[in-house]
Amino acid sequence: MAQVMYEEATRVYPGSERPAVDTLDLDIPDGEFLVLVGPSGCGKSTSLRMLAGLERVDHGRISIGQRDVTHLAPRDRDIAMVFQNYALYPHMSVADNMGFALRVMKVSKDERERRVREAARLLDLEEFLDRKPKALSGGQRQRVAMGRAIVREPQVYLLDEPLSNLDAKLRVQTRAQIAALQRRLGVTTVYVTHDQVEAMTMGDRVAVLKDGLLQQVATPLQLYQHPANVFVAGFIGSPSMNLAEYRVEGEDAVLAGVRIRLAHETLKALNDEGSDRVIVGFRPEAVAMVGEGDAGSMTFPVTVTVVEELGSDAFLYGQYADTTDPALRENTVIARVDPNAPPAKGDRVRLRITPGKERVFSTATGERLPA
Amino acid sequence: MSTPTTPHPFTHRRDGPGRVVLKNGQAITAAPPGVPQSPLEASSRRSRWGVRVVLLVALAWTLVPLLWMLLSSFKNRKDVTAATPQVLFPPTGQNYRNLFTGSNNLTPYIWHSVLAAGISASLAVCLGALAGYGLARTPMRGKRHLAFWIISTRMAPIAAVVVPLFLIFRGLGLIDSIPGLVLAYLTFNLPFAIWLMSAFFADVPPSLEESALVAGCTRWQAFRTVILPLTKSGLVTTFVLCLVFAWNDYAFAVVFSGPNSQTLPIAASQLVTQTGIDWGQLTAIGTIVVLPMMLAGLAVRRWLVTGLTLGAVTGE
Repeated sequence: MAQVMYEEATRVYPGSERPAVDTLDLDIPDGEFLVLVGPSGCGKSTSLRMLAGLERVDHGRISIGQRDVTHLAPRDRDIAMVFQNYALYPHMSVADNMGFALRVMKVSKDERERRVREAARLLDLEEFLDRKPKALSGGQRQRVAMGRAIVREPQVYLLDEPLSNLDAKLRVQTRAQIAALQRRLGVTTVYVTHDQVEAMTMGDRVAVLKDGLLQQVATPLQLYQHPANVFVAGFIGSPSMNLAEYRVEGEDAVLAGVRIRLAHETLKALNDEGSDRVIVGFRPEAVAMVGEGDAGSMTFPVTVTVVEELGSDAFLYGQYADTTDPALRENTVIARVDPNAPPAKGDRVRLRITPGKERVFSTATGERLPA
Repeated sequence: MSTPTTPHPFTHRRDGPGRVVLKNGQAITAAPPGVPQSPLEASSRRSRWGVRVVLLVALAWTLVPLLWMLLSSFKNRKDVTAATPQVLFPPTGQNYRNLFTGSNNLTPYIWHSVLAAGISASLAVCLGALAGYGLARTPMRGKRHLAFWIISTRMAPIAAVVVPLFLIFRGLGLIDSIPGLVLAYLTFNLPFAIWLMSAFFADVPPSLEESALVAGCTRWQAFRTVILPLTKSGLVTTFVLCLVFAWNDYAFAVVFSGPNSQTLPIAASQLVTQTGIDWGQLTAIGTIVVLPMMLAGLAVRRWLVTGLTLGAVTGE
């Protein structure tokens, strides 16, 4: 069990100008479940492989439990890794697969068998111990891969998209099982995924990466409510946040009849920046349907194009009505509406942004402006 | 394997075309008998017959000469040269007896062949596996060119390398020695072995050895305990192909070998003399040369077939 630290860790692939991972600073306390999330090519897998020792660290350092491992071989790092394709050894039985690391470490046969049986019981794999991986289902293989890591009793678990080869239903089940297992074992875990729902539901904290740069690291709720920049705001949350560029007029941000009063701090930051435009975002649930007569400053009319009814929720997708601005006409507004009385496609409805729920970002840097 | 042994109602067996019988006795018939076949089914049946005819011709093309050689090796001098080819004849073992008695005893030739082919093929597999692994896994610039250069050394005709090799071997004192032959075969087999093994290694997902590295293996341990067992069919394929090349070689052996190292093909050629050809003994030697390779091929057939196809679908 150990704390993991990335200090300005950088990886530049040969023949590439841009670093795959750029001066990553990350402090993962002992026992934490940290999720690295981002779109493909953001450097999340590279970051994990750097921690595993499978990828060189060109600059900066990485430590596990106060021990500098930057230039240590994978075998000397006391870690266990679960690969996206599970990487089970096809020529070995499930028991041999799970006990492989212990055999390499010359753990006695009795101890090895005890730990393999224990992990097999934990993962419901006891009856498959004599089988070869090819005689297992996808979900069973995934559990063997997990078991192989658990048997190690390492300082850190590294999981690289371990659920991406499972079907949707099994993925949701396994997601909860892995999270529960980690809480129970209490071992520091770094988990890579491209799926923001996985990140939000599993992680104690989530680190969002883009283009090799760390965007924000925070608890799922903080990420959702206080995104540090436009990218995090758009990436976290499903359906995603409504984002549009507003003009600043006096103390207000204005767009197609919507007027949002900006805070003093925000205006001051804007003044320093010398910009008269801002990006305003609000979540689908931060909008409410109001009567057509209600013409408050934060309301606007929308033509409904699609209604998604999920049973517990309903989402309307619409276009700003009464506008000639072509950019605005293409901007889709998403709003959560009452699932018992959803509007119909083609309806014209009036929406109101809940005051205080809007988030304001700089157009120049994409960073959130102080409020 | 602990597969469940309880009969499952839906395990089934095929019971003639279009009819499947479930374990519980219930039969499912695709179409009632007497219903005319669809044109698609008829055409697929015709093409199956076409394939059978082609296979039959290919089989005869391959086997008839071998069978004729085998038959001839048991004929006496009169039968083997008879104007009308004899299929039924009193068999004799005289040809084989002659090969192992008297002045031209075949035993040393067999021994030379076994040593030269066996050692060179083993070395080719060992070195080819190491170099092929490096070639498949090391990220480097111009790897494709390096790989092509390696295999291109195999493209030179043997005749072009025999004379320079002869001069080098004479300088090193390797003429008329088993090590000389081993080295000569290795120059031709190694590029092929590297190329083939690298294709097999490329088929193994890198995450398997990465997983082994994380589990505590050194590079060498990961190679030995995870990668090599998975490429067993590649090792066998490479060994057999290298063995066959060295075993059958005449061009190198005729130039580099002498009384201390002459191989079976050389012995066979010595039966073609100015006074005539001893067909009986020649076919007997031929049988002795061919038989071990055929047996080796049969013994490793399982690996050879998967091996060759595995190598073929590297791009998959």
